[in-house]
Amino acid sequence: MKYAFFIGCLIPARELGYEISVRKIMPLFGVELVDMENVNCCAPFSIQSLDYASWLSLAARNLCIAEEMGLDVLTLCNDCYESLLMTNTLLKENKELREKVNSVLATVDKEFKGKIKVKHFIDVLYDDVGVENVKNAVKTPFHGLRVGVQPGCHLTKPKRLHFGERIGIKALDELVKATGVKSVDFERKEACCGGPMRGINDAVALQVAKQKLDGLKNAGVDCIVTVCPFCYLELDLGQLEIKRHLNVEYNIPVVHFAELLKIAMGMPLEDWEIRSHKIPLAKVLEKMKEAK
Amino acid sequence: MDEAKVGAFPARARADFMHEVANTPRGRGVLLCIQCGRCTNSCPVARTTDEYNPRKLVETVILGLRKEVLLGNLPRYCLSCFTCLDRCPQGGDIGEVMFAIRNLAAKEGNVPEGIIVQAKNLFETGRVVTPTRMALIQRERYGLSKDISIGIDEAQKILKKTSFVELISKKV
Repeated sequence: MKYAFFIGCLIPARELGYEISVRKIMPLFGVELVDMENVNCCAPFSIQSLDYASWLSLAARNLCIAEEMGLDVLTLCNDCYESLLMTNTLLKENKELREKVNSVLATVDKEFKGKIKVKHFIDVLYDDVGVENVKNAVKTPFHGLRVGVQPGCHLTKPKRLHFGERIGIKALDELVKATGVKSVDFERKEACCGGPMRGINDAVALQVAKQKLDGLKNAGVDCIVTVCPFCYLELDLGQLEIKRHLNVEYNIPVVHFAELLKIAMGMPLEDWEIRSHKIPLAKVLEKMKEAK
Repeated sequence: MDEAKVGAFPARARADFMHEVANTPRGRGVLLCIQCGRCTNSCPVARTTDEYNPRKLVETVILGLRKEVLLGNLPRYCLSCFTCLDRCPQGGDIGEVMFAIRNLAAKEGNVPEGIIVQAKNLFETGRVVTPTRMALIQRERYGLSKDISIGIDEAQKILKKTSFVELISKKV
């Protein structure tokens, strides 16, 4: 299996641990990641809020590059996923819109043809690799560890982009369970982390994150598992800000799912990876060792 | 800014503004709204603060209060989490309508500073988040490619063609 790897902006700039984990584990499952060259920003919701044509054209340009490579796209970030998936779906369905966007793309000698699919890293693990294979690759299952899964919004919403189903959350839960942990239900699990509110009204953003963290705390989780780099920032860094501004301390470590899986597959995190987390991982790493 | 155009005129302006939103890409859903409030009940922001209520915001659009809607900050409160898209009994896509409203607000020059920064980053570097020099050094140290390939030239050509630059240089 080969995928056009769309890495996005935030992950290669600030969340190297996520990137390096994915690059290490995917080849072990026979998934080859071919880096997309000369791509631009996916055009996330902040850019979509400015101009419709700019969004579609920028996203479509990225899709054209994958079409030229003849490969489906694999994204790690929920925002990239939403932008590319929605553009791909809209342009495939709507001929008039496709022609309009293609007239913009003509300035850079590109044409959207609608030949490829857009997948999230979780889709690929679930559909192509399969939960059984993931389970078999796990060397040290972390029995007894309680985790709260933060799927993020755009893994499954809006439903109509996912054929009316919410497979994403179920898929993520099953994949997380494959590492031997217990995925605990908690209040506000499917709700937004509040991240997109940053810069508009920071106090509300923190309150939205706080509701989620309250749910996680009440469920008694050992750590939070994320797949979206924005949720990760909001829940990890956000805990420090909640402590500073609201004087509430949670101290719940946050790990990317890819990191959890990497550790479970027998590849411990390196020192710098551990240190890149704002909330110390020591407690949860200790529990993982005990689980062996 | 043209005061006469932005101001609200009851009766006549009412329908005008609603249709202006409806005819903006992603804004169609405003015509389907029956004001049931399910979007508000689903909204993670509305449950957090009384300042924002998506049903009421759509109501102000239907009432034709163009100035209040486009020059205010409230449409930015939508997180685009799309919970309301899944729940609207009318298929009204209120979260999508917010994009239409924000696009119209941008045309009036009403864009938050944070988004201007991202937009400028996008135009100048091809991405909204740019790696710091430290991040590039770290990438090299940890065996990741230091050179993150970006097609700035083509992205700029596209953004010039769509008049994106003029849009972000506007101010209220």
